[in-house]
Amino acid sequence: MPQCDTKYFGTIAYDAHAVIEFPAGLAAFEQCRRFLPVEDAGRQPLLFLQSLEDARLCFITVPVLAVDPGYTLKMSGEDLAQLGRDKLPAIGPEALCLAIVAMADGAPAANLLAPIVVDLVSRRAVQSIRDDTAYSCRHPLAPVPEAAPCS
Amino acid sequence: MLVIRRRAGESILIADGIEIEILETASRHVKLGIKAPKSVSVLRKEVRLTQDHNLAAAQAIPLDLLGEALARFQAKPANGRPAHNSLNPAPPPPISRL
Repeated sequence: MPQCDTKYFGTIAYDAHAVIEFPAGLAAFEQCRRFLPVEDAGRQPLLFLQSLEDARLCFITVPVLAVDPGYTLKMSGEDLAQLGRDKLPAIGPEALCLAIVAMADGAPAANLLAPIVVDLVSRRAVQSIRDDTAYSCRHPLAPVPEAAPCS
Repeated sequence: MLVIRRRAGESILIADGIEIEILETASRHVKLGIKAPKSVSVLRKEVRLTQDHNLAAAQAIPLDLLGEALARFQAKPANGRPAHNSLNPAPPPPISRL
């Protein structure tokens, strides 16, 4: 079983079939193509996407439906072609749809503007940047603290 | 912000060598043609926003800080609907579980 170094979990062994490939990389990380999804039982529903090319790179993601149960996918034909599809996959049975989490102004926020869509059949993935403004790239994961009242 | 009214076929010039032409207008979108030197980066804004978000996401995120958000998910599992966090459509394993 192959092993890899990870950013958050030390060295782990993995199933080679678990690897997902981004034919075009991710925005600002176009050279990073191969990632290993890692689930940590205590931290569900988070899914860690560990780069197999750079151990220091690991994206923390959350399923878009966990953030917004009504989320609807919108992808360009070009992005669908990266997955080898000609129409939108169904989130769940056909594709995993994840939002990358980052800290924004000290609070965790998920990028619903550019979800990662993983095709469960081809195991190819794409970060599909929407061309509409239906969703934010900084959707807060924690309730926004109320501003202290002026005294 | 500078606001300029233009019609299809008209252009705007910016500095030396950048021209933005209005090619087509419709009720919900505008098609632009952009001429710029190769050294000038032209990006849809959402691409830059996503690049910036990815760069921030690549920094170490204190996992404890995600605790509050996670507690919220666990208390309210996506309104009772499955979050579709499975990488396995039908056949086995492909996910690394710790």
